[in-house]
Amino acid sequence: MSIKNIAALVSVGRHPVSGEARHCRNDSLAMTLGLALTSHLNATETNTVSFKVLHAGNANNTALKDYLALGASHIDMIDVAAESLIIDALAANLTNTDLILTGSRAENGLDSGMLPYQLAEKLGFSLVANALAIQQTTDGLTGGLEVLQFLPKGKRRSVTVQLPAVIVVHPLAPVELRHAYARQVTGTINQQASPLTHATPQEKTLKWQTETILRKPIKLKARENKSGHARMLSATVSENKGGAVVIEGNSVEKAQVILGYLREHRLINF
Amino acid sequence: MTEHHNIKRINPRRAYEIMTNGVKRITLGLNSDYVAHEVSLHQTSNKPLRSPKKAEKRVLVIAHSERGTLDDHAKQCLAAAAILADAETAVVALVLGELQEDLSNAGVDEVLVMDTLDYQTFQPDIELAFVKNIITSLQPSRIFMPDNLIGDGDLGRRLIASQPEKLAATHVIEINNAHIANYQLGGNAIALASFPYIVLLAPDAADTSLPFSASALAIDPLTANQQMRHAQTPSYASLGMQTIDAAKIALEEADFIVSAGNGVSNVQTLQTLAAALDAAVGASRVAVDDGKFSRDKQIGATGKTVSASTYFAIGISGALQHLQGIKDCRHVIAINRDHSAAIVKRANLSLIGDAEEIMQALISAIAEAKITAITDVKLATQEAA
Ligand SMILES: Cc1cc2nc3c(=O)[nH]c(=O)nc-3n(C[C@H](O)[C@H](O)[C@H](O)COP(=O)(O)OP(=O)(O)OC[C@H]3O[C@@H](n4cnc5c(N)ncnc54)[C@H](O)[C@@H]3O)c2cc1C
Repeated sequence: MSIKNIAALVSVGRHPVSGEARHCRNDSLAMTLGLALTSHLNATETNTVSFKVLHAGNANNTALKDYLALGASHIDMIDVAAESLIIDALAANLTNTDLILTGSRAENGLDSGMLPYQLAEKLGFSLVANALAIQQTTDGLTGGLEVLQFLPKGKRRSVTVQLPAVIVVHPLAPVELRHAYARQVTGTINQQASPLTHATPQEKTLKWQTETILRKPIKLKARENKSGHARMLSATVSENKGGAVVIEGNSVEKAQVILGYLREHRLINF
Repeated sequence: MTEHHNIKRINPRRAYEIMTNGVKRITLGLNSDYVAHEVSLHQTSNKPLRSPKKAEKRVLVIAHSERGTLDDHAKQCLAAAAILADAETAVVALVLGELQEDLSNAGVDEVLVMDTLDYQTFQPDIELAFVKNIITSLQPSRIFMPDNLIGDGDLGRRLIASQPEKLAATHVIEINNAHIANYQLGGNAIALASFPYIVLLAPDAADTSLPFSASALAIDPLTANQQMRHAQTPSYASLGMQTIDAAKIALEEADFIVSAGNGVSNVQTLQTLAAALDAAVGASRVAVDDGKFSRDKQIGATGKTVSASTYFAIGISGALQHLQGIKDCRHVIAINRDHSAAIVKRANLSLIGDAEEIMQALISAIAEAKITAITDVKLATQEAA
């Protein structure tokens, strides 16, 4: 199976300081990766690959124009009646898609990073997160996608995934965003009513209560039922946190101590 | 006629401990029933058990290991689970990947290890099936996972999406028995909710120092393992891991950093050492100000914050502003002339002596060790052939 239909999901982000609505950078990365893959496939494959940009949510949002400027020629906007309908509305619109690209975390809602997972679950698609780069697998037989994944500490992993799939793009994906006002003027946004008008009985969801002031979170600490002795100790003796200290010996011996430590904790492999 | 005295009586045969040096010691506030007991040298933990009661319920903590240990973030989840658990609840740790450390001081009552589900292999469907099996058999009342990028954040979200009837929260930054909280609206608001079934915990939401220990009994997950083998054709495959050349990687991402301070006179030696250890190079502000390193190498309050597993501080005094940048480093090794330098208190291992001399000796030792390692491999393959 080769890729025929690619879609990118975009949401409305917010400016970190002013809070003003604008494009969400993570979603822009996903969209740009999708655009690049589409034009690459159209240049190298015989069949044509279609690409669509989809937004489910509040209508008349100027922030969507940012995505036009960033390269989308057209955005389909599904007007959903309630937030709880977004997954269903998207799923209904994406059943024939082979590849769905999303950003890793929204900026204007629960920001839970759950949307791609819920969508993949609903559609029965595979899912790969933390994607830095994507390409069609070279052996056409497997009908899949090769994804380079981000892992912390300088590690990367190449994986393959069967299509259809949802790919969640990592914020460090090496993608250059180019803003062009001319495209913003020529691009179009098409609003379509959601086929789902009233909320189906919702699954249980957490009731979130937003606090008015932004404060520091309070760290959970174990309550200590210290004896008088222990309390006195901790008040008088500062906790000796230091590790081993090697003073004696020559440099060669000290070098061996370092190697021993690194080996013991498997920080080196020789 | 009885006289009531308010004078407190002191038992002359109060409980005492015999310390390792043979001295008897009476500890006030310790009620050990007048029976003298010896402090065993081999006791792994001298903290009291969190709960001596038999567990009626369980909470489950799921995390991937790395190099046979759980990282600090995973330990914070264990600590949170243990602190919030009541006396009838056992904390069960499900470790994906091999485990070579004792978790009794991390508050764990029971440990399940599934070493084939290593974080390096991408097999989310198999992991999800396995974890769901374990959940079905253990019936935990709550599930905690670190919201990280070594697989737990991903697996946790798959788990949440696969059971939409259960309440869950991700990126949790604050947790207590009454509620959980996370950042929403792009980090511009804190939102609270009641405690859900699954919690994906952000880093630093809980303190890992616990005043109690637990038994950390190992349980055999073999039965679940056998069931797992029946998975259909997998949708995912790993093609392999690669590690970015340490010299090219951003310091924030590096796993091993060799860092130079004012006590490093010869920059070339340090660069050679870093290359031999396949480590990235960092520096203190003084070393940067001296022009020995570029500004992007500076680590500390006004430089970069790093989270390398190994931080090798050479000729660095350990000023507060510098230590701020390395608070997340697991293993700190220091070379310093001065044994009273602040870095020595922070370091897990300190070598007191001249930086240049020890670096030279270490470079030779590494070269030797690498040659031995190669000949060992050659001998082994010859024997196998
Ligand atoms: C607002 C502010 C922000 C700052 N931000 C930062 C920051 O981001 N990062 C930062 O690093 N600093 C920062 N500093 C500076 C910080 O306070 C220290 O001055 C600095 O970290 C010291 O660097 P050092 O340890 O390399 O040098 P020194 O303090 O000079 O220490 C050198 C160490 O090397 C040892 N030594 C000397 N010769 C040898 C030898 N031959 N062999 C072995 N050991 C030897 C000495 O015993 C000493 O411990 C900041 C300061 C301020 C006021």
